[in-house]
Amino acid sequence: MNVFSMRTVRGLATFAVIGSSVATASAQTPTSRIVSAANTFLSTLSEKQRQSVLYSFDDEKQRATWSNLPTSFVPRGGIPLRDMNAAQRSAAMALVSAALSAKGFEKVQQIMEGDEVLKATDSGQPPRGNNGNPPPPGAPNGPPPGNGGNRPPMGGPPGGAMFGKDLYYISILGKPSEKNPWMVQFGGHHLALNITIAGERGILTPTLTGAQPALYTSNGKTVRPLGQESDKALALLNALDENQKKQAILSFRLADLVLGPGQDGKTIQPEGLKASTMNDRQRAMLLDVISEWADIIHESAAAARMAELRADINETWFAWSGPTTAAPGKNITAYYRIQGPHLVIEYAPQTLGGDPALHVHTMYRDPTNDYGRGLTAK
Amino acid sequence: MNARLLAGAAILLSLGAGAFAHRLDEYLQATIITVEKDRIQASMRLIPGVAVAPVVLASIDANGDGVISEAEQQTYAERVLRDLSITVDGESVRPTLVSEKFPPIEQMKEGLGEIQIEFTVDLPPGEPERRIVFESHHQNERSAYLVNCLVPNDPNIRILTQTRNETQSFYQLDYAQSGGSSRFASWKVWSTVRGWMGAVGFACVFRLGMRHIAEGTDHLLFLLALLLPAPLMVIGSRWAGFAGVRQSLLRILKVVTAFTVGHSITLALAALGFVPVPSRPIEVLIAVSIFVSAAHALRPLFPGREAAIAAFFGLIHGLAFATTLAELGLGRWARVAGILGFNLGIETMQLIVVAAIMPSLVLMSRTSAYQFLRIGGALFAGFASLGWIAERLLGVHTSVDLLVNGVAHRGAWIAVGLFLVSIVCWRYPQNSNWLHRVVLKHRSVFSAGPEAQERNG
Repeated sequence: MNVFSMRTVRGLATFAVIGSSVATASAQTPTSRIVSAANTFLSTLSEKQRQSVLYSFDDEKQRATWSNLPTSFVPRGGIPLRDMNAAQRSAAMALVSAALSAKGFEKVQQIMEGDEVLKATDSGQPPRGNNGNPPPPGAPNGPPPGNGGNRPPMGGPPGGAMFGKDLYYISILGKPSEKNPWMVQFGGHHLALNITIAGERGILTPTLTGAQPALYTSNGKTVRPLGQESDKALALLNALDENQKKQAILSFRLADLVLGPGQDGKTIQPEGLKASTMNDRQRAMLLDVISEWADIIHESAAAARMAELRADINETWFAWSGPTTAAPGKNITAYYRIQGPHLVIEYAPQTLGGDPALHVHTMYRDPTNDYGRGLTAK
Repeated sequence: MNARLLAGAAILLSLGAGAFAHRLDEYLQATIITVEKDRIQASMRLIPGVAVAPVVLASIDANGDGVISEAEQQTYAERVLRDLSITVDGESVRPTLVSEKFPPIEQMKEGLGEIQIEFTVDLPPGEPERRIVFESHHQNERSAYLVNCLVPNDPNIRILTQTRNETQSFYQLDYAQSGGSSRFASWKVWSTVRGWMGAVGFACVFRLGMRHIAEGTDHLLFLLALLLPAPLMVIGSRWAGFAGVRQSLLRILKVVTAFTVGHSITLALAALGFVPVPSRPIEVLIAVSIFVSAAHALRPLFPGREAAIAAFFGLIHGLAFATTLAELGLGRWARVAGILGFNLGIETMQLIVVAAIMPSLVLMSRTSAYQFLRIGGALFAGFASLGWIAERLLGVHTSVDLLVNGVAHRGAWIAVGLFLVSIVCWRYPQNSNWLHRVVLKHRSVFSAGPEAQERNG
């Protein structure tokens, strides 16, 4: 059984919440639940840990300290799960869980689990070339082929590994409050959740999700953390007629995210196919793709967000670059982008590490409201 | 801890390659462009992958000391910009480096380093619809590019299309800019003119015009033959003595201007396609025009109407100029600029030739020696024109071109020599008496009237 399965965490969280704070047991709204989960988490920490976790709400530097890269390369603020005891860890995950939907929390867990797989299979091993021959499980990897001996430092930084679910960091910006805005950040390799809570509003932008391996087996079950993002988008592409495809499919390659980490506050010129030229079914499919990101946040915030994006749908663009098919049961190897007045979604398979179907970075933004700026800047 | 167990239980399906977290064998060059009213701002992020980092680093750390100095940073940033061709509405422009920021060299070796370069491009005011092209030639063989423009803040700027090649090393941005000022309007006129000139290579066409006159000896010969008798008076049906400086200059000016007006009209009409240009008959007519002006230099055929004749034959010469211009294969509007440039070139060369010859004519025409020049020149032109007529009409080969070109090649020396001779003749009129005598002896051949000789003698 997965130790971080939702049920376990929720159970622990519920236990912790009830056990630590009877006064908050009557909390009803999502925000009040998140606030009490945050306060519970903070109460489990030592004074020193608390100081490491807490930042001022307007700390722009910490806000932007997130990345797709392993934490050894881009140090995150806050404290990692590694430095927490079991209770603190549970409380931290309970806070994340409270802020997210069940589906969103599951996605986060799968991304973290994927990194654990990566750690188990890759740590300390030199990179292999772009050939498609996987080493048999347990067999030693071959020597690095033709990279001119330029081996990335897989030994990791001093002080330990660079992958694994221990290396996800949590930080809180501002004081957890049901009225005043504050933030929870949770992330590590291939994950950056920036959750702004402002009254009953919950904002997830900007958020980065990624996966490597983007397909693995856990307990005999095949897991694709971002599989729906891949499948739903491909289904939408296939639902387009030839003329629409011609507009949606860009003639040039997109090697990476355009608006990845560090690219806050930018609205690029939209390209591709405008959803106003789609039929109702296609538009519904587009919204369904979008929901893979919009629904990561807790259900009531997700509903508000989806309503906003539904209202924008005719001003929303869909662009695709790369192969228009995928191997059965595997992710697409194409880049796509969905962009609207309040939305940028990018899905960017990564060629590094071999098969781009197995490594993906995605970005979810609201250029008008990243970090809840649209709500808090008044 | 269960994580270990879990990881152990996880079966890797197909990790075809070792998984690492950073860019591997590509040099990612991502550019974001902001279009403003009169300039472009651009920010570049350059991320060399692990496998290409040594190559890129070697070109940054020029002295190989393992440290990227400030000077090396600046040099590299400037090199990146030098490797970038930027055009605005077809005109090449240079970017201005604003800032550069380099990561620690260790990060770059790991494929994590991000070089940031900011630059601007000043935009001259232009047409409402503008086109900007970025083409990177920096490390093409190992690079992947991302180029995008931001939605403009200026509501007067509207992005139309972004066009890229497959790797995005080529990026073309078309946008519309509205809400112009009066400054814009005047710039618009200028940039339009400049656009035409640029399109045809104004300087190139100008030189072509000059060359056409300098080497197209037939045009020049026509003009010179027509100018030969310009300083003279007509008495009866013969050329007489000097008509006076003012009169001479005025006539020369009239003839040159009339010729210019004439050939400009037909050059413009033909170049714009209003008049068809049958090349061979025109060439014949040009030769005929030389014959006519040579004959006129011997005996006044149309005294006082030289300007009209010059204008008339100018029309024919203009058609020949148009043929030359047509060979350039320019579009209609480019041809307008072409006509302007070509004509200015022709005029310039004409003025140079006239300025070189005119003083000699004016000086010498005061002496009896001038008869010799006039008649000799007229015979030369007449002979040449007959040769050309035969060549162009009958297709026979004569050595006229060779002869005339031989003379024209030594044009500058001839002009200088003529000037020296004319000064001598003018200063020492008695020394030119031998010429006078020659002229008198051969009166039957030459056409100068006796009055003229008496007056000058």
